[in-house]
Formats: sequence, C-alpha cells, structure tokens
Amino acid sequence: MEQDQALHSRRSITLKFDIPISKTHEFWDALRQSRFVTTKCKKCGQVTFPPQADCPRCMSNEFEWADVGPDATLVTYTYVQVTPASFAENDPYIIAIGEFAGGLKVLAWLEGIPHEKAKVGMKLKVEERTSKEGNPFYVFVPA
Amino acid sequence: MDRVAVVGIGHSKFGRRTDVNVAELAFESIKKAVDDAGVNKKDIQNVIIGSAGGWYEESLPAVIVNEYAGLDGVGTMRVEAACASGSAAVKTAYNSILSGEAKIAMAVGIEKMTEVDTLTSIELIGRAGSYMWEFENFGMTFPAYYALYAVAHMNKFGTTEEDMSRVAVKAHHYGAMNPLAQFQKEITLEKAMGSQVVSWPLKLYDACPLTDGSASVILASEEVAKGLTDTPIWIKGVGYSSDSANLSRRSDFVGLQASVDAAKRAYAMAKVTPDMVDVATCHDCFTIAELMAYEDLGFCKKGEGAKMIREGQTELGGRIPVNLDGGLKAKGHPIGATGVSMAVEITKQLRNEAGSHQAPIKNGVGLVHNVGGTGHYAYVTILSRN
Repeated sequence: MEQDQALHSRRSITLKFDIPISKTHEFWDALRQSRFVTTKCKKCGQVTFPPQADCPRCMSNEFEWADVGPDATLVTYTYVQVTPASFAENDPYIIAIGEFAGGLKVLAWLEGIPHEKAKVGMKLKVEERTSKEGNPFYVFVPA
Repeated sequence: MDRVAVVGIGHSKFGRRTDVNVAELAFESIKKAVDDAGVNKKDIQNVIIGSAGGWYEESLPAVIVNEYAGLDGVGTMRVEAACASGSAAVKTAYNSILSGEAKIAMAVGIEKMTEVDTLTSIELIGRAGSYMWEFENFGMTFPAYYALYAVAHMNKFGTTEEDMSRVAVKAHHYGAMNPLAQFQKEITLEKAMGSQVVSWPLKLYDACPLTDGSASVILASEEVAKGLTDTPIWIKGVGYSSDSANLSRRSDFVGLQASVDAAKRAYAMAKVTPDMVDVATCHDCFTIAELMAYEDLGFCKKGEGAKMIREGQTELGGRIPVNLDGGLKAKGHPIGATGVSMAVEITKQLRNEAGSHQAPIKNGVGLVHNVGGTGHYAYVTILSRN
C-alpha cells in the first residue's frame, strides 16, 4: 500500500484491575502457609477448582475448604517462548496442566526442570511461591 | 418455519490495513454486499456487528460503522463471541428474520487488530480465558492454549509437528489463489517446520496472523430472497455451544466439545450428515485446531485428523476440501470478521463463483465451523443451494 498516514493518538490509558477476592481469600491465605486447598460444597459434595463460593452444580453457597494434592500427574504442557507484553521481563516458561487424585485439574507453571525433560504422565507436586509484588501463587515441580 | 437465505456477500482485503480506520474498513465489505444483493440499503432493517474489540479506538463500533455507511435508524447491536463473533452476528441477523421482525438483515464482521503493538495484541488475546487463574500469574497466550491441545493430541494419537505444518502448507497454497488474503505466497514444509517456536510445539507457521479486515452478508426471508436472486443460499442449520473459560475444567485436550455439540445440532437441524458436505471452512487459528476440527465435525474418526491431511483428503479434489480461501492461517484472522468471512466463502463456493479454488459441488451443501477462544464458544452453520 502507498504511504499510509496514522494519527498517533496521544491519549493513552493504563488499565489495572482491583479484583475482589473476599469470598475465597482463604485460598490465598492457605497458600501462604504452604497449603493448597479448594472449595467443597457442603450440600452436594462438589469439589471445584478454581475455588468458588457458590456451587456450580447445586447452587448452594455453603462450602468448606478441602486439601488438594500435593501429588499430581502431568496431563499436557507447553513451553512459552513468545511471552505477552506484561511478562516481557520473564524468561520463557513451561505451562502445565496437572491432574490430582479424584480428577481435579490445575493449570500452573512447571518449574525446576528444563523444558526438554517435561513429559506427559510424569509425576508432579504443587508448591507455593511468592511473586515479586508479594502475592502468593503456586507452581508445579517434578515430584 | 420461514426460510432464510444469504442474498449478498462482501469482503474487504485482509491484512495490515493501516490505510483505513474501523468504519472505512467495514464500509468496504458493506458496500460490496449491498451491491451484490441489489437491495436498497434503506430496506435493511437490522445490522448486527460482530467484533471482539479492545484493540482499536472506538468503544461502540456498531453505531460508528452504521453512521459511516448511512445506515442510521436501523436495529443494531455489537455481538461478541470471541473469534466466533462473526458467526454470532450471522445467527443474530438470521434470528431477526426468523422471528418475523425483519425481512432483510445484515451481519457485519469487523476487526482492526494492528492499531496497537504486537505484544499488546498478544496480551489482549492471552487474557481471553479465565483471567485470574490463567493469565495473572502464568501469562497464558493463545498459542499456549492450543499448544496444550497439540501436545495432548500428539501424545494420544501420534500426530506430529510435520502433520501440523502440512496444514500450514495447504493454507498458504490456497491463500496464494485468494487476492483478498493476507498472505499470498506458497510455503514449503521445510520452511514451516523451521520457523520460530512460539509456544512449543507450535511455531510461527502454525499460527494465524494478526489481521485487520471486514466481511458482510445480507440475509433475507424466503419471499424477499426469491425476488432478489436466482441463487439464494439457504441457511439450513445453525448449531452453537460453549465450554469452560478455564482450560483446567475441560475433560480432555484432544478435541473441542463445544465444536462436537455445535456440529451435532447443526447437522440435525439441516438434516444432513458429514459425508454430504461438499466444502467447508474450519477454524484453523492454529494448525492443530484444523486437525481437531476434522475429527470434531465428523469428517473422520477421532484421532484420524492427521491422516486426512497426510492423504490430501481436505484439498481440492479430496473427499472434503477445507479452507480453500486460505483459512485463518493465510487469509488472516480479523477476530470478529472471521465467521462472516467464512459465510462469504461458502456462499461463493455454493454459487460456483470461487474461480481458481472452486470445489466441485455435488450435494449443494457447505459448512462453516467457527470457534471462539479455545472452544469457549463454537458455531457451526450449514448452508445449502436447496
């Protein structure tokens, strides 16, 4: 196309969200104490991850916290080499989906292993981590 | 039930369109569709805009587009079903005719993805899952989503990276025949296999590009359609479904349940079976997605998608030619425009107007398969000459 002209808009915006976690903050609190838990419906027994205060099966809002894992099996994974803008300072990372006994699945980074060594079916453990900003999160590591 | 037909189609040039703004780009396909249908634009009662939005400056694209095209006072809305927004727009326009509310309605798919920088685009698409649990801490990207499926498919069925690259080679082969495609150059298997790894095992040539583009279709009730054209292309079946936003809640990673369910519903409504499909567009945002689509749509058995591409069954002259317009991979994937663009291509094919990439039409049946996200949404639309 011949010379295209664009008006470089000078009105930029930065979006940063304050995401409410009041109803399930115990998940993040437990992580700080090295426990990986999720919600279990008191009425129908449904265990749900990510944790949610309202049961997606019977719609009850009465739940308790149940321990998950720590042992999981790698279901699938990928090695992300082109990372999004807000992860520009990160090295490439492995993203894995691990399945716990009972069928509950969790998506997280897989650390502590070169990407060539990752393998479907390998045994994993979930561990807590703290972000640079001081927020708790979780990763898989080889068991 | 009244029948609804496609009576007009329009398609812009896809690519990096820094020469036009959103409204100007939409106008390119709207004008062609109006001319193709031979309708007076004042008779269009509903205009449904399919656009995911967020990467261009306008917040309310429906009214911006309508105003530019002189379509004021119409019933309108913007619909969003991620990469299936275009099919959602077609379905919504179709419903407005079925309900008796309109005799003539238009679906316009529009996206302008290159006004922000590439990494920001990747970020915006990567956030389109379950934000808190997939992006905030783990930086999921769209290639990463489909890579999770690719690894599971490779592991279970022996699909290879080369099989996926074959899909890219096919897409570029047909893209080279489509003057409106973003990429019009053939590529070799070696080139696809040797391209940069984006999210292993997916490489640059396994991925569709970021694209600006628009496509429009005009739909009419049976009575109006027969007065407008000798070749109305009937919408015989529309099936749709959805699945979890959070990938960890999917039962497996070798196919998209939403596609399976949408296809079943569309086949049942149209009263056709997969073997009757003469030509199809499948949602090949990544090469693995096309292989899974063959299976999910019933073109082959589960796990045999790679066999179909190896044997050339989805090429021109094969059993079911797929993506003869170059697909998302080579034609480009302007998110909200894609579903409408697919309807344009299948209408062209069924009218026998596809020129160098015309499929032989035996049963008069074509299929549009359009996925939103990683099977978060799925739409299957079946079009027919009869």
